[in-house]
Amino acid sequence: MPIRIDFWGIPWEWAHLLIYVTVIGAGVVMLVRFYLQARLWWKAGQVKLCWDRPLLRLWRVIQYAGIQTRVLEQKYPGVMHIAIAGSFFIFFLGTAFAVLNTRIYEPIFKDVFLKGGIYLFYEVVLDLFVPVFLLGFALAGYRRWVVKPKRLTLEPKFTWMLLLLLAIVVTGTLVEAYRLALQKPEWAPWSPVGYLISLLLPSGSAAEAGLYQVYYFLYGFHPLLVVVAFILLPSTPLLHIFTTPINIFFSDPARPVGQLAAIPADKEGIPIYSRTLCNLTWSQLLNGDACTECGRCQEACPAYAAGQPLNPKQVILGVRNVLHRDGPALDCSQPDKVHELVGETGLTEEVLWSCTSCGACVAECPVLIEHIGTIVDLRRYLVSEGRLDAMAQDALNNLGRYGNSFGQSERARAKWAQAFEPKIKDARKEPVEYLWFVGDYASYNPALTDITAKTAEVFQQAGVDFGILYEGERNAGNDVRRVGEEGLFEMLVEKNSMAFAKSEFKAIVTTDPHSYNTLKNEYPADAVGGRPVLHYAELLDQLIASGKLRLTKKLGYKVTYHDPCYLGRYNNVYDAPRRVIQATGCEIVEMPRCRKHALCCGAGGGRIWMEEGEMKERPSESRIKEAVALEGVQVFVVACPKDTTMYRDAVKTTGHEDRLVVKDLIELVYEAL
Amino acid sequence: MKIVVPVQLVPDLVEELVVDKSGKALDLDTVRWIISEPDDHAIEQAILMKEKSGGEVIILAPDFEGVDDVLFAAAAKGADRLVKITGDFESGLNAHALARALQPLVKDMNPDLVLTGVQTHNGLDGPIGALLAEYLQMPYIGYVSGVSVQGNKALISKDYPGGLKAEMEVSLPAVLGVSSAESAPRYVPISKIRMVMKTSKVEEQDAGDLDLSGAAVVTRMSPPESAERATMITGKVDDVAAKIVAIIQEQGLL
Ligand code: SF4
Ligand code: SF4
Repeated sequence: MPIRIDFWGIPWEWAHLLIYVTVIGAGVVMLVRFYLQARLWWKAGQVKLCWDRPLLRLWRVIQYAGIQTRVLEQKYPGVMHIAIAGSFFIFFLGTAFAVLNTRIYEPIFKDVFLKGGIYLFYEVVLDLFVPVFLLGFALAGYRRWVVKPKRLTLEPKFTWMLLLLLAIVVTGTLVEAYRLALQKPEWAPWSPVGYLISLLLPSGSAAEAGLYQVYYFLYGFHPLLVVVAFILLPSTPLLHIFTTPINIFFSDPARPVGQLAAIPADKEGIPIYSRTLCNLTWSQLLNGDACTECGRCQEACPAYAAGQPLNPKQVILGVRNVLHRDGPALDCSQPDKVHELVGETGLTEEVLWSCTSCGACVAECPVLIEHIGTIVDLRRYLVSEGRLDAMAQDALNNLGRYGNSFGQSERARAKWAQAFEPKIKDARKEPVEYLWFVGDYASYNPALTDITAKTAEVFQQAGVDFGILYEGERNAGNDVRRVGEEGLFEMLVEKNSMAFAKSEFKAIVTTDPHSYNTLKNEYPADAVGGRPVLHYAELLDQLIASGKLRLTKKLGYKVTYHDPCYLGRYNNVYDAPRRVIQATGCEIVEMPRCRKHALCCGAGGGRIWMEEGEMKERPSESRIKEAVALEGVQVFVVACPKDTTMYRDAVKTTGHEDRLVVKDLIELVYEAL
Repeated sequence: MKIVVPVQLVPDLVEELVVDKSGKALDLDTVRWIISEPDDHAIEQAILMKEKSGGEVIILAPDFEGVDDVLFAAAAKGADRLVKITGDFESGLNAHALARALQPLVKDMNPDLVLTGVQTHNGLDGPIGALLAEYLQMPYIGYVSGVSVQGNKALISKDYPGGLKAEMEVSLPAVLGVSSAESAPRYVPISKIRMVMKTSKVEEQDAGDLDLSGAAVVTRMSPPESAERATMITGKVDDVAAKIVAIIQEQGLL
């Protein structure tokens, strides 16, 4: 009967013992080294362990680290990674079962389980994962040494790691091949890879002595490689095997991406700004060690693509490098002696101010790293020190004084509505069903007030009972918060909340995805009072579905639709605007970067208030070129007031005025009435 | 080093200006007050000097609506004492009256340096700094854009129209009219202002009866009348450009 024999052909008991001792010893060394590294997270960082909903957290670990759904979102690297990781997981299980078989099961049950059919199944599975690994290795090698995509870190440490893995698999397979050549069991073909190789080895009794020599050598060499791998693991990129599941487990499953964490405060309530390592949370430091350097975030980043100094991967690695450099000798009780984080490689002021908070990095990262949280925390520190550019200062001063970034009087906020007939209700004075939160751009930008008025008209046509806050409205604060001016954000929230409290309404609707995000995800529950917050695309979709809004014309345009970051990626509203477009009788042709992968227009996160800085190509221009490349598309549909201005400019600067028009969703609806 | 900075609030031009029924003054109900911009620079300059070589910065401001915010913002930047001057300013205030009211208060403080904004956009009777210097018997330099103190002298850089700059020395104590600080007024985060509101206090000093004499008398006030003098040039970009060039040539500018 087929049966697995431990240490077949190795007669010396001491050798068995030696292998066990060294491999276990190496495992212990690995864990100790890992511990020494992990210790820095809580030595430096603010420790707050979150265990709530452990099952959900566990499930997320299985989903993202086990099944690796995010990794698999990209085909080539996904297959590559799952092939390598999956096969090593199987090899690890195989070895574990082998040990279990004779060291635990046998002493207890006086029998083994790796025998007969089970054993053959075990052999065939383990063997078949050898070519799976080789496929993964080949894909990785081709990519790393031939294609060399820009997003990868092309450092020798990755090459060594790959070669070490290859060596482990090759020596393991050879051990099997030599064993089969010598043992000659009749079930040898059940180990197809090892068996095929064994057929290539010299046979006959004359060759046997030589085969044994090589077999002994390999039998020592294979575990030696494993020992080396174990010992080195914490200082190689393989560290991510440990750190990524931990990172995933402790990432917050409840907090929506659109909700930034508040500034931590000490016992007296004094805010703790992220000046040094000591002020970051432990999970922000863990982020650094969990980064696999895969570069997906870099590839998705609009600021990086525009040639700006920001690279989200380098932000995360910047924190990691400082941690590894300063962590061991760090003394947080002497904060003056700890280096300021801003200014370190990857973390300069220009880098931090380049971020549009588009969320593409966070959406792409396979291991749930939160770049934006760290970027905003560092910005908060800069703002607390008054270190921000003059334009941003002006905008914040205006927002503080007048409640809008335009520096206009709040009394002018509803100027667009003055001439409007029938008069738009003042939600502070009479009850309405929908409180329309108009937002700064739609209220003040003279180029947009026409669209704002059309929105009001469509609402009226559909019989929507709505009102606005007139001069009681303030900027909602979404981008103020992302600039890092938390105090001003809180002030704006208070003022808007007061205006809400004065008004009677059943739901909030807004055309501005930025306001939408913060109202929906960040405003205190008592301000919004559990009432729904809708984007106008959602409301229009409901009105059309319920028949309240009747569109009579079929426009017949070929259009493409740009997903606003704060509507799509942040709040998963992808289909409502598309259904509305379809209802107007337009055909949608998707751009290659659509839905979750949509490219940011470059205006978010307060960027629209700042100096633009050096750029190769504005994200908005790159986006327009993407749209123009689509056969026959005439209209570029947007669902965000800022997008209208950004893209109308970009159409002009790229010289596509006769090819493409930018239209707000409401303009299509209005036209189709 | 003790630096006193008297600042003023002026009507915020972001709001629409309305002339009241008398036809001689702004309708105060519609006015919203904001710190005069050069005064903001004076505060910044004082704070910069304090940061460089230590000392005490005292801010003085007449009691207009919103004055507390101005004072607290200054405290958040680093000012040490905040003084609100109380009195009846609503019925009209001018530089002469304010300077007279400030004189005893500033004198009591015994400053080494008095920094004020060089002008206010609603001032009709000259810069307050010059008047105050006269009443205090101190030297005055206006249009200052940089100060460095050496012993009991200060080295001043003063701007002249046409881009000229002069360096001059003045013995202390002196009054300076600041046009721009060495670096633009800093941004103070709201959280810092809110914190300061809890910890710092505003002293009040009474201005007494105002002596309004010596200033210009307003006889009529009206918003500028808009005239239809602009000509819109329309057409293709090239044609518009050609027309503009022609007009400029006509005026003999090219
Ligand atoms: S949020 Fe957007 S702009 Fe900012 S780092 Fe991430 S991908 Fe880049
Ligand atoms: S942060 Fe995430 S996406 Fe970016 S390189 Fe690291 S692991 Fe990859």
